[in-house]
Amino acid sequence: MEPIAIVERLRLDLDSLDRAYSAGHHGLWSAAKRTEIFDAALISMFHPPASGVALVALGGYGRGQQLPRSDLDLLLVHDGSDPVGVSEVAERVLYPLWDAGFEVGHALRTPIECALIAREHVDACTAMLDLRFLAGDTHVSEEAAARVRSLVTDDPAAFTRTLDSDGRERADRVGSAAHRSEPDLKSGAGGLRDIQAIGWLETAWSERDDAGWALRSHDRDALADAEEFLTRARSALQLETGRRSDRLPLDMQPSIARAMGFSDEPGLLAEDGLMRAVFEHARTVRWITARVFGDAMAEGPPGSTVDPLHDAAELLEALAVTAERGERPSVALLDAIEAAPVDDPVRWAPPIREGFLRVLRAGEHGVDALDALDRMELLTRFLPAWSEVRCRPQRDPYHRLTVDAHLTTALAGMGRMLAGSETDDPVEREMVKQVDDIDGLLLGALLHDIGKTGEGSHVPIGTEIATEALIDMGIEERSRELAIFMVRYHLVLPDTATRRDLTDENLILDVAAKVGSPDRLAALYLLAKADALATGPAAWTSWRQTLVRELVGRVQRAFERGDMGTELAERLTDGIVQIRDRLSNEPDDSVERFVLRMPRAYFLAVEPEAAARHFATISPALGSLDVRTSSAEGVRPGTYELLVVASDRPGLLSWIAGSLALAGLSILTAQVFTTDDGAAVDLFEVEGVFEREVDEARWREFRRTLRKAVEGRTSLSHRVVEKRRLYPGPAVASPVTVRVDNQASEFSSVIEVGAPDRLGLLYDITSALADLRLDVHLAKVTTYTDRVIDAFYVRDALGGKVTNPDQIQEIETAVRARCAD
Amino acid sequence: MKLVTAIVKPHRVDDVKEALRDLGLNGLTATDVEGFGRQRGHTEVYRGAEYQVDFVPKVKLEVLVPDGEAQQVVDAIVGAARTGKIGDGKLWVTEAEQVIRIRTGEMGPDAV
Repeated sequence: MEPIAIVERLRLDLDSLDRAYSAGHHGLWSAAKRTEIFDAALISMFHPPASGVALVALGGYGRGQQLPRSDLDLLLVHDGSDPVGVSEVAERVLYPLWDAGFEVGHALRTPIECALIAREHVDACTAMLDLRFLAGDTHVSEEAAARVRSLVTDDPAAFTRTLDSDGRERADRVGSAAHRSEPDLKSGAGGLRDIQAIGWLETAWSERDDAGWALRSHDRDALADAEEFLTRARSALQLETGRRSDRLPLDMQPSIARAMGFSDEPGLLAEDGLMRAVFEHARTVRWITARVFGDAMAEGPPGSTVDPLHDAAELLEALAVTAERGERPSVALLDAIEAAPVDDPVRWAPPIREGFLRVLRAGEHGVDALDALDRMELLTRFLPAWSEVRCRPQRDPYHRLTVDAHLTTALAGMGRMLAGSETDDPVEREMVKQVDDIDGLLLGALLHDIGKTGEGSHVPIGTEIATEALIDMGIEERSRELAIFMVRYHLVLPDTATRRDLTDENLILDVAAKVGSPDRLAALYLLAKADALATGPAAWTSWRQTLVRELVGRVQRAFERGDMGTELAERLTDGIVQIRDRLSNEPDDSVERFVLRMPRAYFLAVEPEAAARHFATISPALGSLDVRTSSAEGVRPGTYELLVVASDRPGLLSWIAGSLALAGLSILTAQVFTTDDGAAVDLFEVEGVFEREVDEARWREFRRTLRKAVEGRTSLSHRVVEKRRLYPGPAVASPVTVRVDNQASEFSSVIEVGAPDRLGLLYDITSALADLRLDVHLAKVTTYTDRVIDAFYVRDALGGKVTNPDQIQEIETAVRARCAD
Repeated sequence: MKLVTAIVKPHRVDDVKEALRDLGLNGLTATDVEGFGRQRGHTEVYRGAEYQVDFVPKVKLEVLVPDGEAQQVVDAIVGAARTGKIGDGKLWVTEAEQVIRIRTGEMGPDAV
């Protein structure tokens, strides 16, 4: 047959092989079949001279594992006597293949050249270790094979080291096939190349009887299973994409999963099932590879001493000691662990718990120990919940690792931070000083995503699972509570910082109330950082870090000022529960809105009973000129509680205060609040100045004056002065003090005023503030016989603090002058 | 065609997205960015540990619109991003000389 006809036939045969099974079922058998098809075509195309030239297959083709779209790796071995003739022979084989679009790698070498190249390049060497004769002169082929082979059999130890360092370099470059979301099935750590490396190692040591390693039969079976599975996945990938590719991209995973027979199951999508299987196999391969190479490179006689381990406690003790020394578990230790009897599940007892915590405390080396337990399928005996997150892929743009690898990476990160390793993050350094419950922090990091079981929201599920696991382990209450808290709230800082308005006071106080204390805030910061760093390079950017730090800074200052703390948080939560209870007949959404928009200071200052009473006045929507009031008997005899609700604006408080003065009502206390949607909620305790009894007519007069003031139909200042002349107060000469404090509140400047009491005093002060375009956001006014002490939390026209020293000076001067008039 | 670029506060992004969706807009590009305008960098303190924040985190939004729709997109973004406080950001409109949908090769308004 003509070469063109042969190649056409080859193409047809290959296509029918591709179509013989669905894309997901081309395993090693199919690869062998494909190899045969190529062999037949090449042998019939190859017309060598009488002797001195051979056509041989290399690499995967040499091993009889030709995949659907992989290169065809060919070599012409020749004796060097007729280089020109050999080139022509080669071209007669290669051109028809190239013309038909086959990717063919090829070379022309003498046996000596083969050995020279193999010595220089480990890839070429391993490809030629798989050399397989196809056609031509068997002598040159055998000579080439023997020369390459003797390179590795002469010094198998050196070859082992070469393969090992090549494998490490490859793992660093390509990443792991055992937990990367888009694994490289061929070159990733735990991929097909690692399986092949064990084969080459066997070749290298085949002529020695002092090899320090051996492949146990169940390891051999596991490798065979992995090779079949990974070969199928890689073939499916090539068939689906129509290209030679080894990296399994996220968008191809669903179709490949279905082609391979995976289907959606509860809590596990088909593609997750595929990836879980890939990761499982790759981990097995990585594990066996590490072990085999460890043995093969071990110095001294094999099997150095590790006493048998009798139970789970001894096993953890041995792992902990190794991790604390900063070492990986030795092969001898792993053998001892494998032989140790361990209950399934483990019945936790104090020595077991201590051993487990020691492993966690050992940081990164502790993670090696957990990894070893995981490989021997022991970790799930200690932590049954681990089985759900094992090898579970994560499908979001940030995560690159499986859930379990993410958790152990976060644990290692937490360990590094707690060990006080070098960091350029001053906040982290301070945070580490804040925390003392190391075990709680490590457990929180280890378990924070344990709820990613594929069923619903992972935070509540994780909280439940973690609680159960930690109780089972018998972790002492303090550490247990901290760890559970971390699982429950691990998203609060990053989510709030990146999505919410950090200048919203309620938000800061709510976060502070949720967090409760500075040490817990520190725990959440450290976890947020460890979590992000374990997620991927994009998750802890300076952008995110700046926002999270801004949030923790504000929350920390709320703690420091006493604006929020454990006790206040409890009071706040209790108060809100009681209010909801009292308002159970009102529509849920308006109660919810009420709770959300009212400032936290209001709920802390006002009894739930009063707040429930205020609801009817505060809740309905406000027009810009609306003024709503309600009054009730005061707590002290002869006093009245007055509630005024209106759209907030600079001056409002002065209009209310002036209207009260004109109605002959004296302000004993005042509490002024602003909702997050700009309504002023002002609460006064008042009494009648001369006539103690305040009848409806007087309230009506007050309301009428206030409405006029709001609508700009009356000027209050001269009236208040006149009223004061008619009713002069006691002439007490006490000094007027005014002080502006910018440290007392996160978002407002606080103006503290002390002055002798007189009718209309609050009007005087607040109208001075209104002149300066200051909005009173919160105020506390208290009267102590004849002297009034006020604190006004004010914000400027841009909603911020007053920081300009000249303006601060002006405020002090203006208020002092007005009070001394 | 116009390219509308806006720098907004991170917590306003969802509202802007919603406002644009209400206009029937099909796409936008959002990027986490850092910089400073009149709202300069500043020193932050956490428990006495001082650190400099040179750049303020913002989100950059980019929207391609046909000429006639630019103004309402601008209005929607400004309306949704404004809090009235310092640091609300900036917006600018530039001419987009050529717009191509890469998959189909469609050009101009068809590509938006």
